[in-house]
Amino acid sequence: MITDTGKKIYKAHVKRIEKVSKSTYFIEIEPREKQEIKAGQFISVYCDGLTLRRPFSVFSNNNGNIGILFKERGKGTAYIKSLKEGNDIDIIGPLGKGFSIKPQKALLIGAGIGIAPMAFLKEKLDKIGAESLLAAGFLNKDEIPSNVYPQKIYTDDGSYGEKGSILNYLGLLINEFKPEIIYACGPQIVLKSVSRIAQEYNIQCEIAMEKVMACGIGVCRGCVIDIKKDGKVVNATVCKDGPVFNGNEVVWQ
Amino acid sequence: MAVIIDKLYTELNGLSLKNPIITASGTYGYCDEYNDFIDVSNIGAIVTKAISLNPRAGNKHLRIAETKAGMINSIGLENIGIEKFLETKVPLLNKKNINYIVNIAGSTLEEYVCLAKICNDNNIKAVEMNVSCPNVKSGCLEFGTDEDSLYNLVSEVRKEYKGYLIVKLTPNVTSIEQIGLAAEKAGADAVSAINTLKGLSIKINRVNGKYQKTIVQGGYSGAGIKPVALSNVNRLYKVLSIPIIGIGGIETLEDVLEFFAAGAQAVQIGTINFTHPDTAQKLIIELENYMDYNGFKNLDELKRELRA
Repeated sequence: MITDTGKKIYKAHVKRIEKVSKSTYFIEIEPREKQEIKAGQFISVYCDGLTLRRPFSVFSNNNGNIGILFKERGKGTAYIKSLKEGNDIDIIGPLGKGFSIKPQKALLIGAGIGIAPMAFLKEKLDKIGAESLLAAGFLNKDEIPSNVYPQKIYTDDGSYGEKGSILNYLGLLINEFKPEIIYACGPQIVLKSVSRIAQEYNIQCEIAMEKVMACGIGVCRGCVIDIKKDGKVVNATVCKDGPVFNGNEVVWQ
Repeated sequence: MAVIIDKLYTELNGLSLKNPIITASGTYGYCDEYNDFIDVSNIGAIVTKAISLNPRAGNKHLRIAETKAGMINSIGLENIGIEKFLETKVPLLNKKNINYIVNIAGSTLEEYVCLAKICNDNNIKAVEMNVSCPNVKSGCLEFGTDEDSLYNLVSEVRKEYKGYLIVKLTPNVTSIEQIGLAAEKAGADAVSAINTLKGLSIKINRVNGKYQKTIVQGGYSGAGIKPVALSNVNRLYKVLSIPIIGIGGIETLEDVLEFFAAGAQAVQIGTINFTHPDTAQKLIIELENYMDYNGFKNLDELKRELRA
């Protein structure tokens, strides 16, 4: 049974782990208790021997199992990559605020590993019957995970789909698809541009931010960013107030 | 989960705790977030995030970095200010029957005195002074690094605050003994030791032939500082008559016992709360089981044997 009981520490186990592109891995985790997860929420994974848990956007939530996509970037992801089917894994979640789910025409932009929450969001939007278009950008063909199905793909080197940064095509996508809302996840530079372009076209925009975190639950104030609120610039934690923010409220560094 | 723990009863020179496990300032917020994970009222006490007279926005940019055995933080004491704390957090703490200690921080003597008075007037039972803040009026030297300025600060706070007063000592000093004695002489009921060490993290990446550096300078905490903390606690134990609350890299029951052996009467759990939010609760249960297993009737007995 899937219940919504708030944040929890889960002793879970690895259901499967597989390589899905040249440098991307997919891990599916089976928690003892299953919970409803919103697109844009994340889980915080304990990595053996490391002080800080590592946050990962949820990519899938089938039958209560939690799927994440990751690239091996450091010690934390190296540890997760080393896990085998059946191994124990300690996670906290789901954490943070998710994307708003509305019956609006939605354009979803995923850049690189930012595809993960976008693919999950697409599923959620499909469920309520909202029309949506998932567009994704990757470095090249080899970086496209085999388990994602964007309707539009862009690669920097043109080895698959259209050539060039997804940002170069955003205006065109907006003009053709005419979205009422744009959702995005990816490197900060992409989110900044998407937010600016959405504002130019006067379209709502929600983005998922990323920052190094310690607690993951809003206690330590380690992951704050500046946001505009009631005409003032204030701190917001990516882990608790986010990771999803309105594109036009973020004050970019 | 009900934890019955008379055996763990801890008396610290006038402060009664149901057990000696306390959560350290800055690692437990105002505790509301942790209620999702455990029953916080089981913990001996929680020390709140440092609270200043006025709300503080804290430091900009990158605030945390992981190190080999811990982390560095430069949060800059971001907090909601004493007024909002009293208004919004105290009722929740009281309602949930949580034993709390208010950590206060100021940048001038006057600010500390004012905070002390407010805590006194609002019947705050226990206060822990963060004295690792720069004193803006003395060239930003930290209060806690100079015995005269610390003595003066604690004396003035003592005059205004009649409750239980803990002074949290910084290890970034030549002689923690002299600083601890100054706190005791000025009327502190206990000291807690240690606050974070000064640390610097430089993460270097070479991208397209150029170095990219990610730098965080701030307080180093976590497992790596345990030997430093134990040493400071032990040196304080040899000179002070007031109780010492040990802090620094405590993660396991073994760590707790080591701090008792070094002279700590109670302990604070810090950075590990971020990694495993249920650590305090686990330690309480483990300590009780350990005492049962080894036939200790109370903590004094255990500490006596550990220190013999």
